[in-house]
Amino acid sequence: MNCPLETRENAALLVSHAARELAPDMAVRLDRHVAQCAACSQFIERQQAVWEALDRWRPEPISPDFNRRLYARIEELDRQASWWHRLTSPLRPMPARHAMPIAATAMLLLAAGVLMDRSRVPAARPVQAQVEMLQPEQVEHALDDMETIRQFDRAMRSDSPDPKM
Amino acid sequence: MGGAAVALDYDAELMLRVKEGDGASFAVLLEKHRSSVIHFVYRMVQNQAVAEELAQEVFLRVYRSRSTYEPTAKFTTWLFRIATHLALNSLRDGKNQRYEDRLDEQTEDQPARQLADRRPSVEQSMVLEARLDEVRRAVASLPAKQRAAVLMHKYEELEYSQIARVLNCSESAVKSLLFRAYETLRARLAYMA
Ligand SMILES: [Zn+2]
Repeated sequence: MNCPLETRENAALLVSHAARELAPDMAVRLDRHVAQCAACSQFIERQQAVWEALDRWRPEPISPDFNRRLYARIEELDRQASWWHRLTSPLRPMPARHAMPIAATAMLLLAAGVLMDRSRVPAARPVQAQVEMLQPEQVEHALDDMETIRQFDRAMRSDSPDPKM
Repeated sequence: MGGAAVALDYDAELMLRVKEGDGASFAVLLEKHRSSVIHFVYRMVQNQAVAEELAQEVFLRVYRSRSTYEPTAKFTTWLFRIATHLALNSLRDGKNQRYEDRLDEQTEDQPARQLADRRPSVEQSMVLEARLDEVRRAVASLPAKQRAAVLMHKYEELEYSQIARVLNCSESAVKSLLFRAYETLRARLAYMA
């Protein structure tokens, strides 16, 4: 095999090899090459030294009250959501099982009304119905998620350009 | 990483149960991923208090998004995308003290502690502490995107495809990011062998 250090793309194989990520057959082929190539051998040695140095960096212990604090925030979130739910529930659409017979009845009455008096404007408008189908928290989440993704993508774009990434 | 794929499918299944209102499944996900999220964010921002605060925000967002959750990607990819986004934002906003400043303070603090500690292993501890400090500085010196890639690759063992989705780039771009990051780290840390 050609020396992987000849191109950056292949040199990345040596990084994967040091991380033991390669498929066994590729690892064997690379080992054979490394055994007779001083440059690759040195590369692997240095990469493994980095790997071991990073292993020394143990994480800090987690605060014992981490879960308690999180669940308190979740509880608060649920409390606010249920308050919001109660506040807006009169505006919400009815569950489908209740709404369907009512809608069918309304359609019949509407059809009868149209037949009786064609000059009248229909009472129900589809656009309004669609707007009502959106739950307030769905809109809130969607806006929040859209903002998150927008910020993230902006962060990715504004990060250092390719050579310095 | 076949085992990880099976575990991730299970995570998505748990998240779907959370979506249906099962709080116990959320608790399982939290227990399973809490450490990796906190440790990842800690190594990004190098401040434990800030890391825990950001990790809380990560899990709050997971919980808040439950009703709209769709398993279009592996659960951990989604989780680390949120965590990376928040860590990068925090770094950009400068909410936590700059790494170099803080690391300098830590180094300045050391002589007092070392004078107080006169156990025989003090010299050895000093060498280890100095090396650890060098590791932290070397990682902190990496551009944020390279840093995130290295931390996800080295410590969290995410696949290249997952890191690519988290960082919103191609797999080959991830390999290139990692190559450059490790190149910097080799120049600074390889002498430790
Ligand atoms: Zn070679």
